[in-house]
Amino acid sequence: MVLLGKIALGFGATVVMAGAYTFHEGLLRVDVDETHGRGSHVHVWVPAAIVPMAIRFIPRDRMRDAGERAANFMPLVHTVAKELQKYPEAELVEVHDGPQYVHIRTHNGNLLIDADEPGQTVHVSCPLATIDDVSRELAEFAPGS
Amino acid sequence: MTSRTRHLLPVIAFLAATSLFAPLGTRAQSSTSTSSTNSHGDRWLHVRVISTDAKGETVRVNVPLELAERVLPAIDHDRLHNGKVRIGCMDCDGVDVRTLFEAVRSSKDGEFVTVQSNDADISVTKKDGLMLVHVHDKNKPKHSQVEVKVPMKVVEALLSGSKDELDIVAGLHALAGQGDVELVSVKDDDNTIRVWLDSKNVTTD
Repeated sequence: MVLLGKIALGFGATVVMAGAYTFHEGLLRVDVDETHGRGSHVHVWVPAAIVPMAIRFIPRDRMRDAGERAANFMPLVHTVAKELQKYPEAELVEVHDGPQYVHIRTHNGNLLIDADEPGQTVHVSCPLATIDDVSRELAEFAPGS
Repeated sequence: MTSRTRHLLPVIAFLAATSLFAPLGTRAQSSTSTSSTNSHGDRWLHVRVISTDAKGETVRVNVPLELAERVLPAIDHDRLHNGKVRIGCMDCDGVDVRTLFEAVRSSKDGEFVTVQSNDADISVTKKDGLMLVHVHDKNKPKHSQVEVKVPMKVVEALLSGSKDELDIVAGLHALAGQGDVELVSVKDDDNTIRVWLDSKNVTTD
Protein backbone atom coordinates (compact mmCIF):
# COMPACT_ATOMS: atom_id res chain seq x y z
CA MET A 1 0.00 0.00 0.00
CA VAL A 2 2.84 2.35 0.91
CA LEU A 3 4.59 1.42 -2.35
CA LEU A 4 1.44 2.22 -4.33
CA GLY A 5 1.20 5.56 -2.55
CA LYS A 6 4.80 6.35 -3.45
CA ILE A 7 4.19 5.42 -7.10
CA ALA A 8 1.05 7.57 -7.18
CA LEU A 9 2.89 10.50 -5.60
CA GLY A 10 5.82 10.09 -8.03
CA PHE A 11 3.41 9.89 -10.99
CA GLY A 12 1.49 12.91 -9.71
CA ALA A 13 4.69 14.88 -9.29
CA THR A 14 5.72 13.98 -12.85
CA VAL A 15 2.35 15.11 -14.19
CA VAL A 16 2.61 18.36 -12.24
CA MET A 17 6.14 18.94 -13.54
CA ALA A 18 5.14 18.20 -17.13
CA GLY A 19 2.06 20.42 -16.78
CA ALA A 20 4.04 23.24 -15.24
CA TYR A 21 6.61 23.07 -18.03
CA THR A 22 3.99 22.86 -20.77
CA PHE A 23 1.98 25.82 -19.55
CA HIS A 24 4.75 27.99 -18.09
CA GLU A 25 4.81 30.10 -21.27
CA GLY A 26 1.04 30.46 -21.33
CA LEU A 27 -1.57 29.53 -23.87
CA LEU A 28 -2.05 30.36 -27.51
CA ARG A 29 -5.79 30.76 -27.71
CA VAL A 30 -8.04 31.45 -30.68
CA ASP A 31 -11.81 31.60 -30.26
CA VAL A 32 -14.06 32.34 -33.23
CA ASP A 33 -17.82 32.24 -32.75
CA GLU A 34 -20.22 32.91 -35.57
CA THR A 35 -23.83 33.34 -34.65
CA HIS A 36 -25.18 33.97 -38.12
CA GLY A 37 -25.82 31.31 -40.76
CA ARG A 38 -24.77 27.87 -39.62
CA GLY A 39 -22.84 29.45 -36.80
CA SER A 40 -19.45 27.83 -36.82
CA HIS A 41 -17.38 27.87 -33.66
CA VAL A 42 -13.63 27.45 -33.60
CA HIS A 43 -11.80 27.16 -30.31
CA VAL A 44 -8.08 26.40 -30.37
CA TRP A 45 -6.13 26.31 -27.13
CA VAL A 46 -2.48 25.33 -27.51
CA PRO A 47 0.25 25.53 -24.86
CA ALA A 48 2.62 28.19 -26.18
CA ALA A 49 5.67 26.17 -25.15
CA ILE A 50 4.98 23.50 -27.75
CA VAL A 51 4.57 25.90 -30.69
CA PRO A 52 8.33 26.43 -31.34
CA MET A 53 8.82 22.67 -30.90
CA ALA A 54 5.96 21.86 -33.27
CA ILE A 55 7.49 24.14 -35.93
CA ARG A 56 10.54 21.87 -36.00
CA PHE A 57 8.33 19.01 -37.23
CA ILE A 58 6.98 20.99 -40.19
CA PRO A 59 8.63 19.87 -43.46
CA ARG A 60 11.38 22.26 -44.52
CA ASP A 61 9.87 22.91 -47.97
CA ARG A 62 6.64 24.06 -46.30
CA MET A 63 8.62 26.30 -43.97
CA ARG A 64 10.56 27.73 -46.94
CA ASP A 65 7.26 28.44 -48.68
CA ALA A 66 5.87 30.14 -45.57
CA GLY A 67 9.14 32.03 -45.10
CA GLU A 68 8.97 33.36 -48.68
CA ARG A 69 5.37 34.47 -48.28
CA ALA A 70 6.06 36.14 -44.95
CA ALA A 71 9.41 37.63 -45.95
CA ASN A 72 8.02 41.13 -46.45
CA PHE A 73 6.30 41.58 -43.14
CA MET A 74 7.92 39.03 -40.80
CA PRO A 75 10.81 41.33 -39.78
CA LEU A 76 8.17 43.89 -38.80
CA VAL A 77 6.18 41.31 -36.83
CA HIS A 78 9.39 40.17 -35.14
CA THR A 79 10.34 43.74 -34.19
CA VAL A 80 6.85 44.55 -32.90
CA ALA A 81 6.66 41.33 -30.85
CA LYS A 82 10.13 41.88 -29.44
CA GLU A 83 9.44 45.50 -28.50
CA LEU A 84 5.96 44.84 -27.13
CA GLN A 85 7.46 42.43 -24.61
CA LYS A 86 8.72 45.55 -22.83
CA TYR A 87 5.09 46.57 -22.31
CA PRO A 88 3.40 43.55 -20.70
CA GLU A 89 0.38 45.63 -19.61
CA ALA A 90 -0.74 48.15 -22.19
CA GLU A 91 -3.91 49.33 -23.87
CA LEU A 92 -2.91 49.83 -27.49
CA VAL A 93 -5.97 50.22 -29.68
CA GLU A 94 -9.66 50.43 -28.90
CA VAL A 95 -12.22 51.16 -31.59
CA HIS A 96 -15.99 51.34 -31.13
CA ASP A 97 -17.93 51.81 -34.33
CA GLY A 98 -21.60 51.22 -33.71
CA PRO A 99 -21.99 47.52 -33.06
CA GLN A 100 -18.40 46.82 -34.09
CA TYR A 101 -15.66 46.72 -31.52
CA VAL A 102 -11.92 46.06 -31.75
CA HIS A 103 -9.62 45.99 -28.77
CA ILE A 104 -5.87 45.27 -28.93
CA ARG A 105 -3.87 45.19 -25.74
CA THR A 106 -1.14 43.37 -23.89
CA HIS A 107 -1.80 41.62 -20.60
CA ASN A 108 0.64 39.46 -18.63
CA GLY A 109 2.98 39.42 -21.63
CA ASN A 110 0.23 38.20 -23.96
CA LEU A 111 -1.08 40.02 -27.00
CA LEU A 112 -4.87 40.04 -26.78
CA ILE A 113 -7.07 40.89 -29.74
CA ASP A 114 -10.83 41.06 -29.30
CA ALA A 115 -13.07 41.81 -32.25
CA ASP A 116 -16.84 41.84 -32.09
CA GLU A 117 -19.31 42.53 -34.84
CA PRO A 118 -22.89 41.45 -35.29
CA GLY A 119 -22.82 37.73 -35.95
CA GLN A 120 -19.16 37.17 -35.22
CA THR A 121 -16.84 37.32 -32.25
CA VAL A 122 -13.09 36.73 -32.42
CA HIS A 123 -10.79 36.53 -29.44
CA VAL A 124 -7.08 35.85 -29.86
CA SER A 125 -4.56 35.56 -27.08
CA CYS A 126 -0.93 34.76 -27.78
CA PRO A 127 2.21 35.15 -25.67
CA LEU A 128 4.43 37.80 -27.24
CA ALA A 129 7.43 35.55 -26.67
CA THR A 130 5.79 32.92 -28.88
CA ILE A 131 5.16 35.43 -31.68
CA ASP A 132 8.79 36.47 -31.34
CA ASP A 133 9.97 32.83 -31.55
CA VAL A 134 7.76 31.93 -34.51
CA SER A 135 8.64 35.08 -36.47
CA ARG A 136 12.33 34.41 -35.85
CA GLU A 137 11.94 30.82 -37.07
CA LEU A 138 10.07 31.94 -40.19
CA ALA A 139 12.62 34.68 -40.88
CA GLU A 140 15.32 32.00 -41.04
CA PHE A 141 13.51 30.46 -44.00
CA ALA A 142 13.04 33.77 -45.82
CA PRO A 143 14.97 34.14 -49.08
CA GLY A 144 18.42 35.61 -48.59
CA SER A 145 18.66 34.80 -44.88
CA MET B 1 20.49 3.63 -1.28
CA THR B 2 19.40 3.33 2.36
CA SER B 3 15.80 2.66 3.39
CA ARG B 4 15.63 6.20 4.83
CA THR B 5 16.56 7.82 1.50
CA ARG B 6 14.10 5.55 -0.33
CA HIS B 7 11.32 6.88 1.94
CA LEU B 8 12.33 10.38 1.03
CA LEU B 9 12.14 9.85 -2.75
CA PRO B 10 8.44 10.76 -3.19
CA VAL B 11 8.94 13.80 -0.98
CA ILE B 12 11.92 14.90 -3.06
CA ALA B 13 9.90 14.37 -6.26
CA PHE B 14 7.05 16.45 -4.86
CA LEU B 15 9.43 19.22 -3.74
CA ALA B 16 11.05 19.21 -7.18
CA ALA B 17 7.64 19.61 -8.79
CA THR B 18 6.60 22.44 -6.51
CA SER B 19 9.96 24.16 -6.94
CA LEU B 20 9.09 24.53 -10.63
CA PHE B 21 6.43 27.00 -9.61
CA ALA B 22 8.94 29.12 -7.70
CA PRO B 23 10.66 30.45 -10.83
CA LEU B 24 7.20 31.19 -12.24
CA GLY B 25 6.41 33.38 -9.28
CA THR B 26 9.78 35.07 -9.43
CA ARG B 27 9.33 35.63 -13.17
CA ALA B 28 5.89 37.09 -12.66
CA GLN B 29 7.19 39.44 -9.99
CA SER B 30 10.15 40.57 -12.03
CA SER B 31 7.91 41.11 -15.04
CA THR B 32 5.55 43.23 -12.98
CA SER B 33 8.37 45.31 -11.61
CA THR B 34 9.76 45.79 -15.14
CA SER B 35 6.33 46.88 -16.31
CA SER B 36 6.03 49.35 -13.49
CA THR B 37 9.48 50.79 -14.17
CA ASN B 38 8.77 51.04 -17.90
CA SER B 39 5.44 52.71 -17.40
CA HIS B 40 7.12 55.46 -15.38
CA GLY B 41 9.99 56.08 -17.80
CA ASP B 42 8.24 55.73 -21.14
CA ARG B 43 6.58 58.41 -23.16
CA TRP B 44 3.27 57.53 -24.77
CA LEU B 45 1.64 59.07 -27.80
CA HIS B 46 -2.14 59.02 -27.52
CA VAL B 47 -4.73 59.50 -30.20
CA ARG B 48 -8.39 59.86 -29.34
CA VAL B 49 -11.21 60.34 -31.79
CA ILE B 50 -14.75 60.67 -30.53
CA SER B 51 -17.52 61.02 -33.04
CA THR B 52 -20.89 62.34 -31.98
CA ASP B 53 -22.75 60.99 -34.99
CA ALA B 54 -25.42 58.31 -34.72
CA LYS B 55 -22.90 55.46 -34.72
CA GLY B 56 -20.90 57.06 -31.94
CA GLU B 57 -17.51 56.00 -33.25
CA THR B 58 -14.68 56.09 -30.75
CA VAL B 59 -11.01 55.41 -31.45
CA ARG B 60 -8.35 55.25 -28.78
CA VAL B 61 -4.73 54.52 -29.71
CA ASN B 62 -1.86 54.49 -27.24
CA VAL B 63 1.64 53.99 -28.64
CA PRO B 64 4.90 53.97 -26.66
CA LEU B 65 7.26 56.35 -28.48
CA GLU B 66 10.17 53.97 -28.00
CA LEU B 67 8.17 51.21 -29.70
CA ALA B 68 7.39 53.51 -32.62
CA GLU B 69 11.07 54.49 -32.85
CA ARG B 70 12.12 50.84 -33.06
CA VAL B 71 9.33 49.66 -35.34
CA LEU B 72 9.34 52.45 -37.95
CA PRO B 73 12.79 51.55 -39.36
CA ALA B 74 11.45 48.02 -39.97
CA ILE B 75 8.76 49.37 -42.29
CA ASP B 76 9.74 49.66 -45.93
CA HIS B 77 6.70 50.84 -47.81
CA ASP B 78 5.96 53.51 -50.37
CA ARG B 79 7.68 56.75 -49.19
CA LEU B 80 8.66 55.38 -45.79
CA HIS B 81 12.11 53.80 -45.68
CA ASN B 82 14.36 53.30 -42.68
CA GLY B 83 12.23 55.59 -40.53
CA LYS B 84 12.39 58.45 -43.03
CA VAL B 85 9.74 59.81 -45.36
CA ARG B 86 10.72 61.06 -48.79
CA ILE B 87 9.12 64.43 -49.43
CA GLY B 88 11.12 65.46 -52.47
CA CYS B 89 8.22 64.88 -54.81
CA MET B 90 5.45 65.22 -52.25
CA ASP B 91 2.50 67.10 -53.69
CA CYS B 92 1.40 69.68 -51.14
CA ASP B 93 -0.38 72.02 -53.50
CA GLY B 94 2.93 73.50 -54.57
CA VAL B 95 4.15 74.10 -51.01
CA ASP B 96 7.76 73.09 -50.33
CA VAL B 97 7.30 71.48 -46.92
CA ARG B 98 10.98 71.37 -46.04
CA THR B 99 11.62 74.99 -46.99
CA LEU B 100 8.58 75.99 -44.96
CA PHE B 101 9.88 74.16 -41.89
CA GLU B 102 13.36 75.63 -42.39
CA ALA B 103 11.90 79.12 -42.60
CA VAL B 104 9.93 78.72 -39.38
CA ARG B 105 12.87 77.13 -37.59
CA SER B 106 15.29 79.92 -38.38
CA SER B 107 12.84 82.74 -37.60
CA LYS B 108 12.35 84.56 -34.32
CA ASP B 109 9.20 84.19 -32.25
CA GLY B 110 6.16 85.82 -33.77
CA GLU B 111 3.04 85.35 -35.82
CA PHE B 112 4.00 84.42 -39.37
CA VAL B 113 0.71 83.81 -41.04
CA THR B 114 -2.60 85.45 -40.29
CA VAL B 115 -5.57 84.89 -42.52
CA GLN B 116 -8.95 86.30 -41.60
CA SER B 117 -11.84 85.71 -43.93
CA ASN B 118 -15.53 84.98 -43.80
CA ASP B 119 -14.78 81.28 -44.10
CA ALA B 120 -11.90 80.82 -41.73
CA ASP B 121 -9.29 82.39 -39.49
CA ILE B 122 -5.84 80.87 -39.79
CA SER B 123 -2.71 81.70 -37.88
CA VAL B 124 0.78 80.19 -37.71
CA THR B 125 2.84 81.32 -34.74
CA LYS B 126 6.21 80.49 -33.22
CA LYS B 127 6.35 80.99 -29.48
CA ASP B 128 8.42 79.61 -26.58
CA GLY B 129 9.99 76.89 -28.70
CA LEU B 130 6.67 75.77 -30.14
CA MET B 131 5.16 76.14 -33.58
CA LEU B 132 1.45 76.80 -33.19
CA VAL B 133 -1.11 76.47 -35.95
CA HIS B 134 -4.65 77.62 -35.33
CA VAL B 135 -7.52 77.17 -37.78
CA HIS B 136 -11.03 78.38 -37.05
CA ASP B 137 -13.45 77.18 -39.73
CA LYS B 138 -16.55 79.38 -39.72
CA ASN B 139 -18.49 77.46 -42.33
CA LYS B 140 -19.75 74.78 -39.98
CA PRO B 141 -22.68 75.47 -37.66
CA LYS B 142 -20.59 74.97 -34.54
CA HIS B 143 -17.38 76.46 -35.98
CA SER B 144 -14.63 73.87 -36.03
CA GLN B 145 -11.40 74.59 -34.23
CA VAL B 146 -8.05 73.05 -35.11
CA GLU B 147 -5.01 73.57 -32.89
CA VAL B 148 -1.62 72.07 -33.74
CA LYS B 149 1.35 72.45 -31.43
CA VAL B 150 4.77 71.17 -32.55
CA PRO B 151 7.92 71.67 -30.44
CA MET B 152 10.62 73.31 -32.59
CA LYS B 153 13.12 70.65 -31.45
CA VAL B 154 10.89 68.12 -33.13
CA VAL B 155 10.85 70.22 -36.30
CA GLU B 156 14.66 70.42 -36.21
CA ALA B 157 14.89 66.64 -35.73
CA LEU B 158 12.52 66.05 -38.62
CA LEU B 159 14.78 68.15 -40.82
CA SER B 160 17.99 66.45 -39.67
CA GLY B 161 17.95 63.97 -42.58
CA SER B 162 18.91 64.64 -46.16
CA LYS B 163 17.24 67.38 -48.16
CA ASP B 164 14.36 65.46 -49.65
CA GLU B 165 13.26 63.56 -46.58
CA LEU B 166 11.83 63.97 -43.09
CA ASP B 167 13.46 61.88 -40.37
CA ILE B 168 10.40 60.60 -38.52
CA VAL B 169 12.40 58.46 -36.08
CA ALA B 170 14.55 61.44 -35.09
CA GLY B 171 11.34 63.46 -34.70
CA LEU B 172 9.86 60.84 -32.39
CA HIS B 173 13.10 60.72 -30.41
CA ALA B 174 12.98 64.50 -29.96
CA LEU B 175 9.31 64.28 -29.04
CA ALA B 176 10.15 61.77 -26.29
CA GLY B 177 12.31 64.43 -24.65
CA GLN B 178 9.40 66.86 -24.38
CA GLY B 179 7.11 67.24 -21.40
CA ASP B 180 3.42 66.42 -21.48
CA VAL B 181 1.99 68.28 -24.43
CA GLU B 182 -1.18 68.33 -26.49
CA LEU B 183 -0.04 68.18 -30.10
CA VAL B 184 -3.29 68.25 -32.02
CA SER B 185 -6.79 69.23 -31.02
CA VAL B 186 -9.71 69.30 -33.43
CA LYS B 187 -13.24 70.13 -32.41
CA ASP B 188 -16.10 70.36 -34.85
CA ASP B 189 -19.76 69.38 -35.20
CA ASP B 190 -19.13 65.67 -35.55
CA ASN B 191 -15.74 64.89 -34.10
CA THR B 192 -13.38 65.61 -31.28
CA ILE B 193 -9.81 64.61 -32.07
CA ARG B 194 -6.90 64.82 -29.68
CA VAL B 195 -3.28 63.77 -30.11
CA TRP B 196 -1.14 64.21 -27.04
CA LEU B 197 1.98 63.02 -25.28
CA ASP B 198 2.34 61.92 -21.67
CA SER B 199 3.77 59.18 -19.47
CA LYS B 200 0.58 57.20 -18.96
CA ASN B 201 -0.02 53.96 -20.79
CA VAL B 202 -3.79 54.35 -20.81
CA THR B 203 -6.19 57.00 -22.02
CA THR B 204 -7.64 58.51 -18.88
CA ASP B 205 -10.19 60.82 -20.42
